[in-house]
Amino acid sequence: MKRREFWLLFAPSFLVMGGLLVIPLIRTIQWSVENVRYGTPGTFVGFDNYVTALTDPRFGRAVLFTVTVTVITTAILLVLGYVIATGIDRLTKSRPIVLGLLLVSYVLPNLVGAVAFSWLFDDNFGGLVNRFIGLMGGGEVLWFTDQVPNAILIIANTVWHMLPFAMLIILAGLQGVPLELRESANIDGASPLQTHISVIIPTIRGVLGFVTLISIMDVLRMFDNLIPLSPQAEAIGNESIMLYVYSVAFANGAQELGLGSAINVLTIILILIMLIPFIRGIFKEAKALR
Amino acid sequence: MGTVGALAITGCSAGSRTGNANATKVTCDYTAPSSATTVNVLAYNSSAIDPFTNTMVSSCTKGNVTVKHDPIDFGGQVTKTTATLAGDSGSYDIIETYGFVIPSLATDKKLMPLDDLYKKYASDYGLDKISASLQKGMSFDGKLYALPMQTQMYVMAYRKDIFAKLGLKIPTTFAEMITAADAIKAAGLMQYPIALPWLATADVSTSYEAAMNSLGSDFVTSDGKVTLNTPEGKQALEALKSLQPYMDPQVTTFDQPKVQQQMYNNTAAMSIMFSGRMNDLTLDKNSTLSTSFAFASPPKVTDSSKYAYDRLSIDGWSIPANTKLDPDMLFVMMASSVNEDASKASVPAAYPAREGMVTADNSPYGQAANDSIAAAMPPVVAADLAAVTTKIRPILVQVLTGAISVDDGLTQMQAAGESAAG
Repeated sequence: MKRREFWLLFAPSFLVMGGLLVIPLIRTIQWSVENVRYGTPGTFVGFDNYVTALTDPRFGRAVLFTVTVTVITTAILLVLGYVIATGIDRLTKSRPIVLGLLLVSYVLPNLVGAVAFSWLFDDNFGGLVNRFIGLMGGGEVLWFTDQVPNAILIIANTVWHMLPFAMLIILAGLQGVPLELRESANIDGASPLQTHISVIIPTIRGVLGFVTLISIMDVLRMFDNLIPLSPQAEAIGNESIMLYVYSVAFANGAQELGLGSAINVLTIILILIMLIPFIRGIFKEAKALR
Repeated sequence: MGTVGALAITGCSAGSRTGNANATKVTCDYTAPSSATTVNVLAYNSSAIDPFTNTMVSSCTKGNVTVKHDPIDFGGQVTKTTATLAGDSGSYDIIETYGFVIPSLATDKKLMPLDDLYKKYASDYGLDKISASLQKGMSFDGKLYALPMQTQMYVMAYRKDIFAKLGLKIPTTFAEMITAADAIKAAGLMQYPIALPWLATADVSTSYEAAMNSLGSDFVTSDGKVTLNTPEGKQALEALKSLQPYMDPQVTTFDQPKVQQQMYNNTAAMSIMFSGRMNDLTLDKNSTLSTSFAFASPPKVTDSSKYAYDRLSIDGWSIPANTKLDPDMLFVMMASSVNEDASKASVPAAYPAREGMVTADNSPYGQAANDSIAAAMPPVVAADLAAVTTKIRPILVQVLTGAISVDDGLTQMQAAGESAAG
């Protein structure tokens, strides 16, 4: 490819990436060291915003909650996504219908899905799950005001929303596993479980890594589903980092844009830390391909 | 300048929750600019606000002037108000404001004083019929910053069928509410007979303020002194906690629509909400119990309380100081939307700011609303009230959920309030 052709094809992507990613990132970093209010130029305050965030116990709680939910949710997504994808991989005629049904929760706007999901646990709107628990002899569960039940509710909703994505990507990976590999394992006397653990999973390691990467990034940024699912998130310690940013920077007429930016920079660092193993893996693979 | 008739219009241009059933076509006689102009209106959607917004949008859009209103909820309005008023130019030309925020916005010079425009157009639009006390509630430092549109006050809704069956009298104090709740529980009718909006991120502080108001106090005095760690502050907090055993354990997640839902669902027999929520209870499309609800002025915290457990919230139209459009044109639009016919048509969904509009005959909760206004403590006008309220809310929730004691909570709220007040 000639240099001119390269730049002709690359320039639109470069401009879009620059406009939508790089410039906002630079502005976020700039604001994180300033005191910024709407419509006025910021004033330099050094690392004050970082100190404010890092010394706020609420931020610590938000990080702990978000990371915990991310780790648990990602693990569930990988396991369930793999199990369901394996099942669907065996389907033939009914596969499009099953896939279509499974994708409903993914295509629903997250907030809409979360509101409907919350009604399953809310007696004011039927509370189907509560009724089922009652029928099974269980007591009242305070899904919205007790920390652990509420965290379970949030994880369940996040899994419900993101599982189709994980399943779909893993399914694509499974379809790329050569049939000969499975047959070889079978001839060698491997049990189905051994085949999955020793043959299929290592073969689709890259796909699983991609699902993990995307899941970690998505769950770490959870925000809108907490509005209906955890109305008193702050009080029970179930506030996500993004909800915390919204509360301090925007809610109730707040104008702490500098503090919000500092927390966003810290969140980006947190995401990078959590993704280091996967980023390193990608670099290794790229290096091996050269 | 009169109205041309109370013609219901068929569109739904304001994105209203109530459609345009209450909208009225009125004369909106302003001098239009020579070029095409869009007037952007910021107003949250609710049954009580929509009639006025719909009237403004439908009546004042003409020629090359378009009045534009996009649907938005209250939280969105709060955020957008802050953003639009921040710089030299904003996104909105008319904004819905309420008494609570007027002092701080006026102090920051974010709103245009309306006194001259009011004088100029008062006779054309009969603005002198707008309650003087409500005008005072939308004023700061002697200047009018919003044209009152409607007001809301706490009203108690109760199940008249259950009260009649058990021979209960309408509660006039918190103690009587508890007595009634005990009787309803004992009869096995409901587990949690009392429903109050105590949403941790919003309504709960209003409820606490109402309890303090009943005792003749508030979070701050008009000269800005924070008065939370006081005998009244403690008594109000303990009074609220005394109601908790009779309310759903997850009450701190309930906003007003959820309280309405409890009433619809036959899971609560008494609720206290802003009057704008009351008409919904009487609509048979919302509940099979719509004919079983009755309304009363909210009770006092104690027998000796000076006022009712009550809050007055005044809504009005303001002109941002940073708008580039002609203030005369904007004021005419605002005045048109609150004129006599438009205000009449808003009843019973709203309680218009004009005197004598709501009565027991034209509103199912009219008498209760009038009694409530008479029993409410006059609002404290203080620039720091909004900031203090936001700051103490998380601590208040901790007290109500039992995470910290009342005494510790009061100490922390006092400190937080003083820090917010600067």
